[in-house]
Amino acid sequence: MSASKPMSGWDKVGDRFYRKVQLYTAVFDTELELENYLVAGAPYSGALAFHRNENKLQTVRSGSTAKAAIDIYSCAGKLLRRINWDKGAIKGLGWSEDEKLIVVTEDGTVRVYYDFQGDFIPFNLAHGADEHGVISCRFWSTGFVALLGNNEFVTVSKYEEPRPKVLAAHPEGEIHCWTLIAPGDSLSRSVEVLFAIDRTVFVLDATEAEDRGLDRGPFRHLAVSPNGKFVALYTDDGKVWVVSSDFQNRFSEYDTRVKTLPKDLHWCGNNAVIVAWEDEVHLIGPNGASSKYYYDNWVQLVPDIDGIRLFTNDACEFIQRVPDSVEEVFRLGSTSPASVLLDAVEQLEQKSPKADDDIQMIRSNLDEAVDTCVKAAGHEYDVHWQKQLMKAASLGKSVLDLYNSDEFVEMCETLRVLNAVRFYEIGIPLSYEQYLRLTPERLIERLINRQEYLLALKLSDFLHLPTERIYVHWASQKVKVSLDSDDAICRIIVQKLNGKKGISFEEIAQAAYDEGRAKLATELLNYEPRAGKQVPLLLNMKEDVIALDKAVESGDPDLVYSVLLQLKKKLPLASFFRTINGRPVATALVQALAADQDKELLKDLFYQDDRRDDGCNLLFDEALAQKVLSARLEKLKLAAKLLQDSKENTFQAKCIDETQRLLKIQDAIEKDAGPGFTGLSVNETIFKLVRIGQLKRAQRVQSEFKVPEKSFWWIRLRALVSKRDWIELEEMAKVKRSPISWEPFYNEILAAGNTRTASLFIPKCTGLTVSDRIEMWLKCGLIVRAGEEALKAKDLGALHDLKSKAAGNTVGELDRMIAQLAPTKR
Amino acid sequence: MARTVLEASEIGEKARRDLLLLLEGVRGKKNLVIEKGLAGTLGLFVKFSTLQEYGVDKVFFLENDNVDSSQKNIVFLARSDNLNEVHAIASQIKRLRQSGQTEHEISIFWVPRRTLVSDQILEEEGALGDVNVSEYPLYFVPVAEDILSLELENSFRDLYLRKDPTCIFTAAKALMLLQQHHGLFPRITGKGNNAKRLADLLMRMRSELTASSDFRPSGAGYELTPSNTIESLIIIDREVDFPSALLTQLTYEGLVDECFGIESNQIEVDSSVVGTASNTTSQGSSSGPGSASQPLRKKIILDGTESLFKSIRDTNFAVVPQVLNSVARRLQNTYENRPTASKTTAELREFVSKLPSYQSEQTSLKLHTNIAEEIQKFTQSEIFTRILEVQQTVAEELDPTSQHDTIDELISRAISLPTVLRLLCLESTMCNGLRPRDLDAFKRAILHAYGPQHLLTLSRLEKMGLLSTRSGSAFTPAPLSKSGSGTNYSYVRKALHLYMREVNEAKPDDIAYVYSGPVPLSVRLVQCVLQKQYLASLSNKHPGATNAAASGATALSQGWRPFEEAVKQIKGATFDEVQRGEEKAVRAKQILNGSGSTEGKTVLVFYLGGISRAEVAALRFVGKRLVDEGRRRNLVICTTGMVSGNDMMKAAIAERDFGGR
Repeated sequence: MSASKPMSGWDKVGDRFYRKVQLYTAVFDTELELENYLVAGAPYSGALAFHRNENKLQTVRSGSTAKAAIDIYSCAGKLLRRINWDKGAIKGLGWSEDEKLIVVTEDGTVRVYYDFQGDFIPFNLAHGADEHGVISCRFWSTGFVALLGNNEFVTVSKYEEPRPKVLAAHPEGEIHCWTLIAPGDSLSRSVEVLFAIDRTVFVLDATEAEDRGLDRGPFRHLAVSPNGKFVALYTDDGKVWVVSSDFQNRFSEYDTRVKTLPKDLHWCGNNAVIVAWEDEVHLIGPNGASSKYYYDNWVQLVPDIDGIRLFTNDACEFIQRVPDSVEEVFRLGSTSPASVLLDAVEQLEQKSPKADDDIQMIRSNLDEAVDTCVKAAGHEYDVHWQKQLMKAASLGKSVLDLYNSDEFVEMCETLRVLNAVRFYEIGIPLSYEQYLRLTPERLIERLINRQEYLLALKLSDFLHLPTERIYVHWASQKVKVSLDSDDAICRIIVQKLNGKKGISFEEIAQAAYDEGRAKLATELLNYEPRAGKQVPLLLNMKEDVIALDKAVESGDPDLVYSVLLQLKKKLPLASFFRTINGRPVATALVQALAADQDKELLKDLFYQDDRRDDGCNLLFDEALAQKVLSARLEKLKLAAKLLQDSKENTFQAKCIDETQRLLKIQDAIEKDAGPGFTGLSVNETIFKLVRIGQLKRAQRVQSEFKVPEKSFWWIRLRALVSKRDWIELEEMAKVKRSPISWEPFYNEILAAGNTRTASLFIPKCTGLTVSDRIEMWLKCGLIVRAGEEALKAKDLGALHDLKSKAAGNTVGELDRMIAQLAPTKR
Repeated sequence: MARTVLEASEIGEKARRDLLLLLEGVRGKKNLVIEKGLAGTLGLFVKFSTLQEYGVDKVFFLENDNVDSSQKNIVFLARSDNLNEVHAIASQIKRLRQSGQTEHEISIFWVPRRTLVSDQILEEEGALGDVNVSEYPLYFVPVAEDILSLELENSFRDLYLRKDPTCIFTAAKALMLLQQHHGLFPRITGKGNNAKRLADLLMRMRSELTASSDFRPSGAGYELTPSNTIESLIIIDREVDFPSALLTQLTYEGLVDECFGIESNQIEVDSSVVGTASNTTSQGSSSGPGSASQPLRKKIILDGTESLFKSIRDTNFAVVPQVLNSVARRLQNTYENRPTASKTTAELREFVSKLPSYQSEQTSLKLHTNIAEEIQKFTQSEIFTRILEVQQTVAEELDPTSQHDTIDELISRAISLPTVLRLLCLESTMCNGLRPRDLDAFKRAILHAYGPQHLLTLSRLEKMGLLSTRSGSAFTPAPLSKSGSGTNYSYVRKALHLYMREVNEAKPDDIAYVYSGPVPLSVRLVQCVLQKQYLASLSNKHPGATNAAASGATALSQGWRPFEEAVKQIKGATFDEVQRGEEKAVRAKQILNGSGSTEGKTVLVFYLGGISRAEVAALRFVGKRLVDEGRRRNLVICTTGMVSGNDMMKAAIAERDFGGR
């Protein structure tokens, strides 16, 4: 095996090494004229999108595709998909971090291609984009900013439910160049746009534009580092500046000494800037140190989070700073423990005893050396050196007594995954850091989108990740492209997927339905275990009744409501009621819905179901809502009519009749006794009449509504007490018998604080015991009367008790009574 | 997967974090428009000042429809299952857009989830356009350290009047979240038709969770495995036991609720806390409370952080004055023993360091003394005595018709309508309805006394099953042909001891103390599951009880055993399900943890449709008893919301009368 030297392709820039790794060769057809294409690459070594730039002249070539298209390639140059294009001039081509292709056309239409199959979701930028046209776009991981013809910036921060927003207004002027700071990296946590006008740079967010106060412009290029901390600027006189993104610190300046304007300015990781002309690339490190690369033909740059990919027709290269661990191991003349450990393995392979010397030499730092080797292996692209480094780590590990091997084991797995996806047929040349940032789950997602099902499955199993998404995608794809009969497809899919957990048959069914295979969709849907998931599709398929049943089955009222609302909209009322009939949950929900929102619907429902009492209540409620007497009576009449020929609801009918009478009577009373009666109950009406001294009238109301005598007395009592009409109460006391006995009189009047009147009723409470009456006298403060009560009952004990409570001359009174009682005892 | 012990405080903390995170997502200052009902709920775990720190400038109530344009950012926070609110938001967004001076940045946080229907409505109203819609997954909120409430104001009405199962679904979601955190409830036992629905939903959700791809505990297997910190879930449907909530609660907190109405752990009282008790002489509805010159109202927070309240909240009110007295004496002593000038500085320092706690205790003592005095005015009134007499008679199964005159009189005296209705509903639910003749007479009396609009009220009570006419005799209802169609109280009363003649309020020995005699059936049901031996011992103590199964009660029997027979005589479905995990996983876990003892495990008791504060007290008493028996359990009460008899009546009482209100 011919292993290239690990240090080949290393370049020293300042005091750090940068390396150029050749990832793939023979990438593109030699006839593909890179210079004529608009190119966008997805982050994390994702796919590339090519679109022939219509503004550039093309050489006419026979046989080549004359039709406009967007071509999606892997990094290894494999054509993944061609999307034919006839939808207008493309002004923005970019990717989201989950590898959705975003295409922005001049008229402000945005198309989000969410898979590699050419399916897309469109939306519009609005905000005058169609009128002024889109000039250019810049993308970040989850959104983008578009510059419109009227110099306004519009931002979209997410693709599911996009909400285009205009950024703040800013000074007029030609925008020389612009870029953005992603929301995650900016201080304000929202997207910020940097743009060069005149001789300065402005920072713009949703609320304001701020001049950064530079005067050395005009600037021709602007680039923000991947972590958002630094900004690189290209001045008109060929200099590259690096400043902090808040423009407070200037870090370095580099003179390119080139007169022509470069085509690109990008960051390579967070520590170096790349300036590119057609076939020349300058790599500028900190403090103005630099390295230059020259090419034979056009070079296309695709920046990534930790480096930059360079494409020419025949190669795909990756430039990045040499990771610390790799540098530590491989730097010429390195004597780091890791480097020695690697040497030990080589010595061991040559069966040289020096191996042991090496080990002994670094004995004290061995664990550190192992760690470094493991890390370096992750950053190494060459399989030979990966193995060599892991061997070194393994050797070191075997010497150590205690070493946690988790990282070692994990790295072995990671390397296998990385090598598998770097393979040219897959063409995802992930760096170790990119892999960590991307996460295995999203890597699998990318493989699924590329329809690399087998690899995706194997990796998922290997990494203990869920596999059902893969199966579902496979099946959906099968449904789309297969020409077999519905039955056959269904059989194949079910055979393959049955018994596997978490399979969303609904998604597959949806795919089938979208392909116009309704029958297949229905069949597949039957395998979906989640009732709720079936509902939207069933509704689409016009399977209303099944949809309703499934919604009810799911137990989710929201789904049921949603189905009901849609059904109500599209069905005639009668068939709507027929549908919900016999489904109590649905009926209850319709009723609850209608009770708040749609009383007419409720009325119809009750009528349909012949629920007279409910219908009557509804009308009664409407009567309550009316403001005028006549309208109220009208509604009540309607309510009464509903019950007319039913035998069951006689009580209700009687009450409605009484209500009508009450309203009329109150109206009549108000005519001469003043307002305030409507709305009162029968009892309250009587109460009020008594209060205003209209006893006769009150009695008429009583007899009209057959209010029992007891109630009437109570009401009268309370009314008089509240009026504090003691005279009238004393008048009442003259009657012989009270239907509610006299005790309430005593209690109510006492509670109102009138002991004198209250005491009048004590003698009338003949039904009570003596001691009760004594207590009552006492509460009125009349000890003497209490004493007389006791005397009458000949209760000596009570008298003595009373005496103890008495004071002043009442004591004498009581003594007299005791004396009266005492002799007879003897 | 984290299998930690369930802590109410953690759930509150998470709710707080989630909200603040959402608020943080809206850059800059914002005006918050919030549903009234939610405002109190949020108050349980986040302070207004904290919201301000997160950029909230002004708070508006959605119901008031008065949000202004003082801020560019406007955030709506409302429950998505309340369609009225959804419509209100839609129209307010439209209004804001039309007013047009500022271009508003509008966000909606739906509680607890974004629904299809809310989207549909907003879209139809043309308000969805460029609104940022987020979800605020607020489910359980801790109202005490052992109570998790969904705080669904209308759950009682929705469940029993409208038969709208939305809150069952919300409850299932909330419980599912708990299961995802703490593992499956190994056992789900319950009573009542809605409870059964909830349990079924939990089963369904579990299977759908397994089938769905969006749930993935990283690393762990696909399936949830039974929890090793939670022992079981007991679900009680409020419908199973309406009477307990209808009775007047006699614990301190319960009576505070009866007198002042606790909402989100807050009560409102006159700043003077005097002269409010108008219950005795209220004069019909012509002059509603607070319509005249409004006295200064003060909000008081009542929660477990106040040690005095914590110590008396669950005691029978009869004992509370004594307790308060003794606390007063203790404080007095501390103060009188304060060091005089001659004491050493060290003593002085110690005294001073205790001063703040002394002062806070002093204020809390003063507050509760005042509240207790207020309550005493109520409990010592003649009407209160009459009401209690009626309740006890019904609960003890003496002849309820003997109390009809009293009820008639109370109606004539125009005591508050909910109170009257509670008495009637109590009799109706406990005696299988009222005689048709009596019921009609009462209905007429109520319409006469409180207004014809209550025709609707009465009809709603009948719909809810709170009021009904009796078919058959009072004490021996027609033998239950269909199991669970109604409760056979005369049987169950004996079998489960639903009335205790001897109650020791000061040193309670049975949950009967919370109502001074009547026993909450719902809590007895919980005891059937958790305190089998105690319940069996009751039957042994009272020979002649018909509980044949009592002898079979051992600590080992599970579910409803051996009380199945009694439970079957109670209205509603009965169930007892065991949730098992994948066998392999379970076995592996057993090896890891050993077959853990049940000691100290959590038992969730879920009250669907609401729980009263007296029942909470009774459940806490059960918890304490379990500790005494050496079978400590961490009892956590979950519910759709706190409920009192008055709340239940409020669900039925007609909103307006012919006076145009």
